[in-house]
Amino acid sequence: MRRYHALVVAGLVLAGGIEAGSVGTARSMGDLPPEAPPTAKPEAKPAEVKPRIIQQRASKATPEGRGDFQVYPDGKKLQIRYKGGPFGGVAKADLSPWRTYDYANKTPEPPVPEAVKMPADLKGDPAKGRKLFMDRERAPCTGCHLIPGEDVWPAGNIGPDLSTYGDLNRPESYTYEIIYDARKYFPDTAMPPWGTTGLFKPEEIVHLVAFLHSLKGPLSPEKDPNRNPNTRAKPVGFGDNLDPTNNPAVLLMDDAKDFWGKKGPKGKSCADCHTADPEKSMRGVAPKYPKYLAKYQRVMSIEDFLSRHAPETTGMEMLVESQENLNMSILLKYASNGLRVQVDTMSPEARAAYERGKAGFFKRVGQRNHACADCHTPDKGGGKFLGGRLLVIASEGSTKHFPTWRTNFGVVWDIRKRMQWCMDPLGMHMLPADAVEYAELELYLTAFDNGKPLSVPGIRH
Amino acid sequence: MADIGKVRIRVPSTIKKGDVVRVKSIVTHPMEIVERDKQGKPIEKKYNYIYMIIVSYNGKEIAQFETTQSISQNPYLSFAFKPDKPGQLKITYLDTKGGKYEGTQEIAF
Repeated sequence: MRRYHALVVAGLVLAGGIEAGSVGTARSMGDLPPEAPPTAKPEAKPAEVKPRIIQQRASKATPEGRGDFQVYPDGKKLQIRYKGGPFGGVAKADLSPWRTYDYANKTPEPPVPEAVKMPADLKGDPAKGRKLFMDRERAPCTGCHLIPGEDVWPAGNIGPDLSTYGDLNRPESYTYEIIYDARKYFPDTAMPPWGTTGLFKPEEIVHLVAFLHSLKGPLSPEKDPNRNPNTRAKPVGFGDNLDPTNNPAVLLMDDAKDFWGKKGPKGKSCADCHTADPEKSMRGVAPKYPKYLAKYQRVMSIEDFLSRHAPETTGMEMLVESQENLNMSILLKYASNGLRVQVDTMSPEARAAYERGKAGFFKRVGQRNHACADCHTPDKGGGKFLGGRLLVIASEGSTKHFPTWRTNFGVVWDIRKRMQWCMDPLGMHMLPADAVEYAELELYLTAFDNGKPLSVPGIRH
Repeated sequence: MADIGKVRIRVPSTIKKGDVVRVKSIVTHPMEIVERDKQGKPIEKKYNYIYMIIVSYNGKEIAQFETTQSISQNPYLSFAFKPDKPGQLKITYLDTKGGKYEGTQEIAF
């Protein structure tokens, strides 16, 4: 017996146009029985503190994929995330102050402080600095910078190799300023403004400075070429992604074929309007998505479209990020495998959406003030290692294998869930999986795949 | 789940005489998970899972694999064998509810 109360979240006007003024729902938590779903329970909170659940905007995604908020009586707002995989069920901190991809979000970038002075009364401890440098919960700095030590694993190479930083004899105050907010010297840097956004406290930065200035050559010879991201072997992939004995995601299509012939509450099945064999009748559909759909007045991917189209025609729900939606998306894209991607970016609506998506790609967001471009353009992180992960170069195309099997989680992710996962390390609220902002970003990314053959489902680590 | 018992077999695209052939096979099967009571003890009942896989070549049985409850959903089996002449490879999966699922693959040199 759950009770639902309508609550109007005022003031959200979305650039996509369809969801003018957002309506959300809030659950009255006091009425929930003990068997309430775990998403509705505050984790590790005393029993008396009960949050309200607020939906951030109208969405046809699953409750987890919507990114609803738990709002506590003291005003603290924690975003609900996926329970499985790396998401951890609920965000660790209230990320409300930080800029998001929401077109309605007008939060500016954190301003560059005019003068940053290194505290003169603090003495840095290199050992403490090294610990901070390596702390996985904090950054870790080793995600982008290499330092000496066999315990440094795996280090990335997006930022400069700092193995002998001390030999550069930079002033300590300069190093402090760079860590605090590098934008003073490098306006387009990929390094987060650690001090400005409070990710590191001043005394912690002093320890980091002391550590970096202690790094002097000569370096001992490298024992393992894989320790150093510049000599590390690039991952080779997981073989044939369309082989059902190799990629478990191929088998998921069977469930979608079941769904295809199933009659919904409106008495119709997919097969009634299309034909019985989706692999034939749907061939050629998927390569045109994401596309602008006049009926919904927005850009939609296959996944977005299914979430609207399935209930409208058959009466069956197919929420974005639900297994049914993922399975059907795989089936529809599989039907077009080998055909070349050809998304429209030339019609006026698509062009405008493409430009908004492109602006999103370069928009700096979150507590770390990152843009997609920081990691996915070749002049910055693209093609380099972030920790042990090789970063994709967006301009080489990155969407034609989604939805893709994630070997490390044993589930299928579509591109939206992949985007939502990026929101976590960036330190910001994710948008609902079917948000128009993501759709337009996906259009921008998919345009790089134009002319290349679709190959779904993919398989990746 | 659709297609319960659909057996898929993959072999290398080119096979020469004398080659050791790596066969990969997967069967679509739900694999009932052990249910537990409130004390956490497994409930005794007949669970449905694949308990035996029989491989034959040109009608002659060449291997048997016994599997147990801990086998996964949609179990994947891979093995190598050396065919002496071209023929038909047949893999048969048996489950505890009497299901018998077969797949065949022609091997040509």
